[in-house]
Amino acid sequence: MPLRLTPYAWAKLQRLRDLSDTEVGGFGVSAKDDLLLVEDVCLIRQQCSAVTVRFEDVAVADFFDWQVDRGLAPERFARIWIHTHPGNSAQPSVTDEETFARCFGTADWAVMFILACGGQTYARLRFRAGPGGALVLPVEIDFSEPFEASDWEAWDAEYVEAVMAEPVLPQPERRPRLAPAEAELHELALAARWNHALWDDVPRLASPFDEDFCPYPFPETADDYVGAPF
Amino acid sequence: MHILYINNSGSGFADRIEVADGLTVRTLFEQKMSGKPADYLIRVNRQPASADQVLQEGDRVSITPTKIEGAH
Repeated sequence: MPLRLTPYAWAKLQRLRDLSDTEVGGFGVSAKDDLLLVEDVCLIRQQCSAVTVRFEDVAVADFFDWQVDRGLAPERFARIWIHTHPGNSAQPSVTDEETFARCFGTADWAVMFILACGGQTYARLRFRAGPGGALVLPVEIDFSEPFEASDWEAWDAEYVEAVMAEPVLPQPERRPRLAPAEAELHELALAARWNHALWDDVPRLASPFDEDFCPYPFPETADDYVGAPF
Repeated sequence: MHILYINNSGSGFADRIEVADGLTVRTLFEQKMSGKPADYLIRVNRQPASADQVLQEGDRVSITPTKIEGAH
């Protein structure tokens, strides 16, 4: 029992994944008579970074309203949670697992589907029927039915409208590391810029042990303190 | 009275249901959902609703999950 995607849905998901370096996520829309056949991938308004994706709560509610107005039941549009991973691993993270349990755990069934940048996929079906359980599903592209052509322009527009990259804090500027020979030259150049003449005119400060500085002998025994002003 | 009720729990639901007059959002949640209200966004007619809001004939109530997030 694989999770299948139409070529249209597969091409769209790959396109959305590759539009930037961030993760991206959405819901799979299932076929009416086959809930494990994904016909479309719909983005939810979201904030993304290179390692996170977070749907806006209001956008999720808007998506539900929109799909219900289209006449779809929730089991067709809200059960297959899809997101991408930027690296080569599609294995779910702790956060992925927590979200899957918390947000989809009360549904009769749900699928977490992850597509990694390197092409690896991960799909797991969780179901509550009977004793409940989970099943890792193979992922297939279903070419058996006619499918729509790709539409990069519309997909890109959907991406621009839905995905907001989280602001990246500026990194502190770092000096380039010099090669050893360059570093030695750099040291010599700094030494050459040292103006010794400026320091030659400064009178030498008196040392605490100079007689000018302290006219009394440094007390070393109890007798030395006799007559000393301190 | 009848309201349109949308949620994804159980088998999922998006249909008109009959509820008692004067039913509040809190009571509807307790009757239909399990878990904590804080884990859901509850809207009436596409607007965030308070727990004590009394439902009216023809209201559209949606209960959707919040904090859907992934990380790598």
